[in-house]
Amino acid sequence: MDILHNLAFGFETALTLQNLLYCAIGCVVGTLVGLLPGLGPLSTISLLLPLTYSIPTAGSLIMLAGIYYGAQYGDSVSAITMKIPHASSIVACIDGYQMTLKGKAGLALFTAGVSSFIGGTFAIVVLATLAPTLGDVALLFGPADYCALMLFGFVCVSFVTTGSLLNGLAMTLIGVLLGSVGTDVNSGIARFTLDLPFLTDGIGLISIALGCFGIAEVVKNLDSGSELTPFNGKIKLMPTWPEFKRIIPSALRGSVIGSFLGVLPGGGPVIAQFAAYAADKRFSKYKDEIGHGAIEGVAGQAAADEAAARTSFIPLMSIGIPENAVMALMMGAFIVKGIQPGPNMIATHPDLFWGLVASMWVGNVFLVVLNVPLVRYWLSVFKIPFSVLFPSILFFCCIGTFSINNSLDDIYITAFFGFCGYLFMRLGMEAAPLMLGFILGPMLEEYFRRALLLSRGDFSVFVTRPISGTLIVVVTLFVVWQVTDFFMKVRKARAH
Amino acid sequence: MAIALLFGLGALQYKVGEFSRAGPGLFPLLVSGLVFVIGLVTVVRSYYVEPVPLDYSIKNITVVLLGLCGFAVLSAHVNMIVGILFLVFCVSFAGTAYSVARNLKIAAALIAIAFMFRNLLGLNLPLY
Repeated sequence: MDILHNLAFGFETALTLQNLLYCAIGCVVGTLVGLLPGLGPLSTISLLLPLTYSIPTAGSLIMLAGIYYGAQYGDSVSAITMKIPHASSIVACIDGYQMTLKGKAGLALFTAGVSSFIGGTFAIVVLATLAPTLGDVALLFGPADYCALMLFGFVCVSFVTTGSLLNGLAMTLIGVLLGSVGTDVNSGIARFTLDLPFLTDGIGLISIALGCFGIAEVVKNLDSGSELTPFNGKIKLMPTWPEFKRIIPSALRGSVIGSFLGVLPGGGPVIAQFAAYAADKRFSKYKDEIGHGAIEGVAGQAAADEAAARTSFIPLMSIGIPENAVMALMMGAFIVKGIQPGPNMIATHPDLFWGLVASMWVGNVFLVVLNVPLVRYWLSVFKIPFSVLFPSILFFCCIGTFSINNSLDDIYITAFFGFCGYLFMRLGMEAAPLMLGFILGPMLEEYFRRALLLSRGDFSVFVTRPISGTLIVVVTLFVVWQVTDFFMKVRKARAH
Repeated sequence: MAIALLFGLGALQYKVGEFSRAGPGLFPLLVSGLVFVIGLVTVVRSYYVEPVPLDYSIKNITVVLLGLCGFAVLSAHVNMIVGILFLVFCVSFAGTAYSVARNLKIAAALIAIAFMFRNLLGLNLPLY
């Protein structure tokens, strides 16, 4: 009953006219920008983050969440109709595009929308029950435990996003170093500022995000130099009843898988999609059709995608540790708004927490009601040629960076990180762990120092406390496994 | 990844490692130590892993960066309208097709959007 009561309270916040409006704007704008070729959720959020600065706290967070799932849906639309894979919708390309080729684009889009709705609803129930409980557990954590937890998160995320522990960790740690630029909180001494006055406040989150994701993406698309052909097919949206019945089991399966994988550190939508798709391939009644344009192939992964996108808020809001780059950006937005996500958030800002949860569901409704019928108009976005688009995207990057501090110097920083992001991309290094390190770095330092202060400089505190001890052991085992695995491979390669 | 570039990366990380200060720099020192170790491991590993050729085009990124910096400089010293014009014309060199008329249209649209931002959203843009 408690949950129902809380949810009702949340809907009170979410259903004010203003917040409804912000949610709708977020969804629509998110979808539109997410549709643009080459812009996934990560770049979309970083591009639109500055827009939310002038909005009251609850509204801006609701809008951001709206942007997030709007972008996710927009992504799957472009994947289904034109086979433009983003990081977040690779799986939607497989069966979705096959369905488009068969002239069933509308059906695929409808399936994606409805399954997202099912997945999202399921995940919100999970979120509402699990997050407060986890929050209670998180209160047991001391500074040392937080340090260990973050290290654990670093290792998981670096490994999962890049597939190579070494590259990922290197990026995370560089992020941590970047995070320590600026005035030191404890002593007030300026660090790494190169005597440039605009660096004393630290490097802006937006500068890094826009540089590494926005600008780098644009240049990557310029390099590939291909102009896209717009989609001009006819779209018939509504499915027949037997078709509709096929969506349900697959979407439910996807919801469960997605909700579970979304909570794990380093997890999130991408892995959830693949897992759900694999599960469908294994257990679905129509498994032979999957891969050749089956409804299940779209429904399961869309549900998992959405469910994981929601449940990945759980670690962020209950423990205060973002588990992937998108959540790290969200966390940055929370902090900008003066809210520290973590166990205390539910207690100190119940209206925000439950409002956000409720607005997620409202956002889902918007997606189905607004976006699905309007999708044929959205598709006209693709008729804009890229040569018109990219100067505009660059311009919005500039305005976005500028508007945070009203400082043109920030644009230089963004340009610099645009170069770095491009370099990283060409070197095959993911910029996502860098983001995570950048945002968690200052927190890690804070907890690290506090832990050492409490233990009077004794490092054994990290091993002797049960929670942190366990996590450190897991991390160590993981690293050892990676190292031995590498040398085994080398030996095998030598043997051949 | 090309071995040479891995060496370069290692060197870059080395510089980061040397940069920390005493006192409040304890934590950065620890972290940069770790980065240094990882850099070393990367260099060592590069002997074992097959090198992969690196493809990149220096032109596009240079043009885009030039456009961005030019935008900042012009907006600071002249005004943002000139900055927008410069940005559009400069970065479109990186595109596949170049057309003055289209650039003018884009720039006009962006200037209109900038005015909208300033008047509706209350951003403080130095437009003129």
